Amino acid sequence: MAAGEVHALLGENGAGKTTLMNVLLGLVRPDRGSLALGGRPVDLRAWGPRAARDAGVGMVHQHSTLVPAFRVEENLAFGEPEAGRWYRPRAARARAEALRERFGLDVPLGIPAELLSVGQQQRAEILRALGRGARVLALDEPTAALTPGEARALFPVLRRLAASGCAVIFISHKLEEIREVADRVTVLRRGRSEGTVDPRATDARSLGRMMLGRDPGERPGAAEAPAVPAPGAPPALAVRGLRAPGLREASALRDLSFEVAAGEIVGVAGIDGNGQRELEEVLAGVRRPSAGRLEVDGREVPFGTRALRARGVAHLSGDRARAGLVGGMSIAENLVLKGSYDDRRFFRTARYRAGAAVEYAARRIEAFGIVPPDPRRAVALLSGGNAQKVAVARELEGAPRALVAVNPTRGLDLGSTGFVHEQLLALKAGGSAILLISTELEEVLALAGRVLALVRGRLLPVPAGADRESLGAILLGEPAAETAA
Amino acid sequence: MTALRSLAAAGAALGLAGVVIAALGFSPVDALRALVAGSLGSTAAWTATLLKTGPLLLTGLSVALAFRCGVWNIGAEGQLLAGALAATALATRVAPEAPAALLLPLVALGGAAAAAALGALAGLLRATRGVSEVISTILLNFIAIQAVAWAVQGPLQEASGAYPQSDALPAAARLPALGRVHAGVWVAFAAALAAAWLLFRTPLGFRLRAVGLSPLAARFAGISPERHAVAAFAIAGALAGAAGAFEVAGVTGRLYQGLSPGYGYTAIAVALLARLHPLAVVPSALFFGALEAGAGAMQREAGIPSVATQVVQGVVILFSVGFALPRKAG
Repeated sequence: MAAGEVHALLGENGAGKTTLMNVLLGLVRPDRGSLALGGRPVDLRAWGPRAARDAGVGMVHQHSTLVPAFRVEENLAFGEPEAGRWYRPRAARARAEALRERFGLDVPLGIPAELLSVGQQQRAEILRALGRGARVLALDEPTAALTPGEARALFPVLRRLAASGCAVIFISHKLEEIREVADRVTVLRRGRSEGTVDPRATDARSLGRMMLGRDPGERPGAAEAPAVPAPGAPPALAVRGLRAPGLREASALRDLSFEVAAGEIVGVAGIDGNGQRELEEVLAGVRRPSAGRLEVDGREVPFGTRALRARGVAHLSGDRARAGLVGGMSIAENLVLKGSYDDRRFFRTARYRAGAAVEYAARRIEAFGIVPPDPRRAVALLSGGNAQKVAVARELEGAPRALVAVNPTRGLDLGSTGFVHEQLLALKAGGSAILLISTELEEVLALAGRVLALVRGRLLPVPAGADRESLGAILLGEPAAETAA
Repeated sequence: MTALRSLAAAGAALGLAGVVIAALGFSPVDALRALVAGSLGSTAAWTATLLKTGPLLLTGLSVALAFRCGVWNIGAEGQLLAGALAATALATRVAPEAPAALLLPLVALGGAAAAAALGALAGLLRATRGVSEVISTILLNFIAIQAVAWAVQGPLQEASGAYPQSDALPAAARLPALGRVHAGVWVAFAAALAAAWLLFRTPLGFRLRAVGLSPLAARFAGISPERHAVAAFAIAGALAGAAGAFEVAGVTGRLYQGLSPGYGYTAIAVALLARLHPLAVVPSALFFGALEAGAGAMQREAGIPSVATQVVQGVVILFSVGFALPRKAG
């Protein structure tokens, strides 16, 4: 990319945008390849955070990295070699004012960073990077946390920086923003560049296709007809009029209703931060909905993890390392950690039958091919794929009535991904209802018979037979689809 | 591996303590000899060590169990005093005439129950209001210390009114003893076994450990971290409270200020040196009990001033804790 250019990076979660930025910043060492700045190749062996900074690479992260209690000028002076060994308030203030003047960025000085609006904090961060002499400035989804007005105000700033000879890297999911601000856009998909184009000369559909992949691929599960439930039978899992507060405004659940029949996989596609986590938490019984009801086989389930478990709703967590499994506990202990503490095989009134749990675990380990086959091994020591097998072995035991599976293959290699998919399809064939919440569109399309799109906390219908492109367009088409960290 | 680290910690700490003693101008060899003789060298020395070990064992278990559930119990000292206070009130005011068969269990359980309530209070504050249990237990320590001071100058003061201390507990409330080693010490050893059983062989212990290792995963498995924090604190309080009840009923025979030489604080070091394993708390408490008992002998026999013995104890605690904790990841 050239000096004076705003260059956008577009790609799905996990496409490699952040990894690429981390290489640029010297946080991740590349296996091979080269990097050149200002026409001079960089010695990658000596490349690191400090070298990157000295070479003029600056980054504005998605979330503020200012010290909240420090004043703005203190933040700007913090860790700056040129600010000197001692902190001199007047000099810091003068330097901050000079920077503000020079780059024309409106940031209030003299007040703690935590009192700034998100947009002001971002400008302060840009100022800090520029103050360090950044010639290449990368912004990681800078508009995600901004109001539309603040986002509008950011774009002229970026254009002005580019005009002054700075190279600006702009990471975003939002096509219309990229169109507005970027000169060129490079699309990343699964760690590869899918090409660099002029965003204004390319329509949303082709960008979406580049981002989501060209070939339609195989759809192993969707082709099969769903197991036909008995006519007139109530759906195995139903959600009606569900509302729930969100972690952020955009991710609050707004009046969701859907049904999942026995023997059916319903996919919920979406970009992270649109309510997936909230929906997962409600269906796992840890986030209390403000309205609406959950039904299993037509009967309402009271709020709570144990009530849901008791009615046969299993949950394959999207955050397996933290929420799905207890890393410090053994495979055996994790396999019996289920909310059903009346499971007499392992839990008597005053006795935990550790021996029975280990024996049981040995059988499950064999059945699921968990490596290493040691029931006493702590789950934190397993690979991602084997840890997920532990979670699958626990949640699929006894054919649950319904399963809520969230990003069940995130971070897994191909073999483990295939294994998890097979297990889900087998469970469906056995007559369980599966709700698959995933940000992997290909996964949703491959496994689910029906697909819903979760966009800003609302469910949008996806026409039957939708492909990646049309689904991607639905997810992206909504102007303010936001992304979480 | 774990045990080796803890042993290395204790050994290295003793070595450094020797350097400190030498720097103060005393012979470390004499000091060590006095320390060993005063803690292990005779029946009387063993008795002193065991009497110090009892309360350290119970409070050490109290701290370890709470840690296992992910909550910091810095309040074992206050809980111990609450136990001693309740036990004294029951024995000298509520039921002084009761027979031993009734009074002894009443004193022990009453002390444990009062301290369990104090502990549960810290747990409740954390569960319902998000009050850091580190802060609340420290503050509750001060409240317990002042409550004892008030009681021995007020409602529980001895009939003669001579000193700020309670009446002597009636004979029926005194713990039976083997030599001078009262039954409470043996109960403390049994408590270590019971705590290990609770933690590793009961459903409650399973859930406490799950919460301690990953509150989020526990919540998704239907285990309430809040409720279990309260439960852990109640159990921790009961253990420390029993230590207090045993002190008045087995050792001092009366309640007075300064009843505890800081058992509840040393307990934190006891628990950390044991790496929070209830069975490992036994040798850990014995080690600190021997130090406590031997420090007196070191002062008497080797002529090392009491300030120096305190320095030695401090070094040992810092060292053992620093060594025994796992290296911080990342």
